[in-house]
Amino acid sequence: MYTLSLHSVGMSLDECIKCNICTSYCPVSEVTERFPGPKYAGPQSERFREIGQPHSPDTSVDYCSGCRVCNEVCPTGVRIAEVNARARAQMVAARGLSLRNRLLGRNERIGMVGSLAPGLANFALHNPISRWLAHALLGIAKHAPLPHWHQETLNDWLTRTHARRLRSAHKVVYFHGCATQYYEPFVGMAVILVLEHLGYEVIVPVQNCCGLPLLSNGEFGAAESYHRSNIARLAAYVRAGYPLLGSSTSCTLTLKEEAADLLDLDMDADSQALKFATWDIFEWLRVRLDAGTLPTDFRPLRDDGQPFILPYHAPCQFRAHRIGKPVLDVLRQIPKLILRESQARCCGIAGTYGYKAEKYQIAMNVGKELFDFVAAQGPVSLTACDSETCRWQLEHGTGVLSCHPIEVLAAAYGLYDLQARRPTLSVESEEDSPRITAV
Amino acid sequence: MIDLLIIGAGLTGLFAAYRAAQAGLQVRVIAKGIGATHWHAGTVDVLGYLPGKEAAVGNWELAIPELPAAHPYQLLGVEAIQTALDAFQQLTADAGLPYERAGAPGQNHLLPSPLGVGRPVYLVPVGQRAGDLTLELPAPAGFQHRRATQVERPLVIVGLSGIRDFYPALIAENLQKQGYRVRSAMLPCSLLTKWQGHSPLQLARLLDVPAEQERFAEAVASIAVADERLGLPAVLGLHNHSRLMARLQEASGNRSIFEIPTLPPSVPGIRLYEALRARLYRLGVRIEVGMEVCGVYTEGRRIQWLETETSSRPLHHRAAKYLLASGGILGGGMRGDHSGRMTETVFDLPLTVPQDRSQWLRPLFLDSRGHPVFQGGVAVNARFQPLDASAAPVYENLWAAGAILSHTDPIRERSREGVAIATSYAAIQQLNNCSPQGV
Repeated sequence: MYTLSLHSVGMSLDECIKCNICTSYCPVSEVTERFPGPKYAGPQSERFREIGQPHSPDTSVDYCSGCRVCNEVCPTGVRIAEVNARARAQMVAARGLSLRNRLLGRNERIGMVGSLAPGLANFALHNPISRWLAHALLGIAKHAPLPHWHQETLNDWLTRTHARRLRSAHKVVYFHGCATQYYEPFVGMAVILVLEHLGYEVIVPVQNCCGLPLLSNGEFGAAESYHRSNIARLAAYVRAGYPLLGSSTSCTLTLKEEAADLLDLDMDADSQALKFATWDIFEWLRVRLDAGTLPTDFRPLRDDGQPFILPYHAPCQFRAHRIGKPVLDVLRQIPKLILRESQARCCGIAGTYGYKAEKYQIAMNVGKELFDFVAAQGPVSLTACDSETCRWQLEHGTGVLSCHPIEVLAAAYGLYDLQARRPTLSVESEEDSPRITAV
Repeated sequence: MIDLLIIGAGLTGLFAAYRAAQAGLQVRVIAKGIGATHWHAGTVDVLGYLPGKEAAVGNWELAIPELPAAHPYQLLGVEAIQTALDAFQQLTADAGLPYERAGAPGQNHLLPSPLGVGRPVYLVPVGQRAGDLTLELPAPAGFQHRRATQVERPLVIVGLSGIRDFYPALIAENLQKQGYRVRSAMLPCSLLTKWQGHSPLQLARLLDVPAEQERFAEAVASIAVADERLGLPAVLGLHNHSRLMARLQEASGNRSIFEIPTLPPSVPGIRLYEALRARLYRLGVRIEVGMEVCGVYTEGRRIQWLETETSSRPLHHRAAKYLLASGGILGGGMRGDHSGRMTETVFDLPLTVPQDRSQWLRPLFLDSRGHPVFQGGVAVNARFQPLDASAAPVYENLWAAGAILSHTDPIRERSREGVAIATSYAAIQQLNNCSPQGV
């Protein structure tokens, strides 16, 4: 069982004053009766989940999406989402795990297998018969926005363009996450191009899934081995003092604190170092902006001189970093870009939640607030959002393409084609000789 | 660097942000969580009780001279308080959530509480106006009898079966004991929803839907009898409140209909928060919640930056000026520990609270003199700058407003919103009159 260290998830429970602010903001309990709200499922039920108690007092906690809006608004600092996640793990330990949830927790494995033959995998996954079968047999919602495998993984691209990558004494390490590797390698390309534009050599070490999908589905044992494996793989870089930058906001949150806190791991030197080395890419860019070292050779995103309107949604997982909205600060530097900040709580999908047949409609109803916000901006060609599943949900709910803000930044530096979602042709066609910058 | 960083997102912080943004300052609001607006009745209580007196205050302008000399209202004077309240009324009128005065300057309304007790309130949201007990005999001493016509206007308090914490029979019985003519009635909650365990907020959201408004208006109309004023729990719509109020008046033959606030989550309080938030969004002010201050960096008597806790390294917030609006003990601005030490949670400012636990509270819970722990807080000068032991400003670029101030006991005095509005207005005026370099 969990220890009670100061500021731990368990200790924060006693800070609850039952004020109901979390319940007022919970996007899930607003749209379904199946989840009674964070206060009931979290701090109140937790008092009955005594140490050694084999069964959770209620199963409604399974309907918590883990969006962490409750933590964000709680005026007394109760870590409700973590209390709920642990309660789910307790349920899984007692009752076992469905094949569906086991699969959803292993998107890295699925991504890797599919990438062996992306065309075939896309056909196998996306044809209506498979979607119907997956819905009927596994409970994977047939309309939920599953991703498409890309023709090339990020690693393939790195291998192909190896000679063109920047070598520099200034180095950063990139944690791309599973979705960027297999489904959206262009997001990783945009990250690398921007960082190279800033004069940094980007190291992309061997890495594995951060473990968040497993944590969300209550598979704590497997999540722990994933996390420990990442610590081991990244320790050398982190100890050498390189910052570890990520573009997938839930991965970086897991590396920073979520895995260690949920699993109640001892913060040894390597875990500690990993926590403090990890940055969201825009969190790190904002430091450069504030220091005046961010290049400002931005060009407008449109050639016709008209303003470019971009609705931006900071996902709930991003807000859970508690770093504000650095994307707004950085992208504001781009000329003729009009950012529209979403105030929506959550897109609904919450990682793997919206893929579950019984939760799909809940997720769509939660996302309505965000979809309505986008619709209210008039005709737009693009939205921006930091998290991959949220982007897919946003596209599913609005019919408008959604990109990572780093793609917008890369495009403003002239490095990236926002329409085609790949490096610009001039960047691609550079000669194959390695670029070396004097430092 | 921004001009002003406000710590606290309650009424004080948000109204201050509004005033500062209007004055052209670049403002940001950070807060640990959502503020106390969600716990309170959504009315503006300016002064309802004087220390040591049991009787409610009928006219607060006349009562102010009886307050302790160091009370924030004494620092301000009646005129400054009224000016601030005018600005608040203007803001809420613009936001479509108008607040009204009773008539003569300083004259309080007397609104029924969910226990059937009169609450002395100065500015009343239009939805609660018709509940004013001074519209009916017998008006208590000090209150002006405001009956407009010779026709008696008895009350009917209508509840919804299934809603927790709102008992019309209890309200009616207590009001009857005080001599008011009042009866109670019930409507079935199933009229609106099949869900179990309805929170006031859930019902209010349901009642935003025009079709639900129709059904509800018809049911309410069937209860009312000629000339009765009809009181309902404060669930009459969240975003579509004024439409429902108009529809209810119309359906019941222009009978006066009013809301009685419920226990948290308080819908009238949330309406006020939402109105302020929407206004600030349009003014370009970012409100970032989930941010707890964990460090302050100063040079001499100048605050250089604040640090807030994140998922990893602390986040820096730099501003020319800072406003502390973190609230009292309930709001999280002060924190006591088991040893009897009471600390101010952001800057560790000196507090006027006794640093001995046995001195915090008087033996009688309802002692009319209040409790020292609630009267204590941050002592300020007439410019609303926190003072040290030698009565000099602790920092040249720090101001404070709202429930964190000492020499006021906002809950006991029923002055919470009045203190919030008047002191935040004054603090912004003072800090804006200062040169950018502070004092």
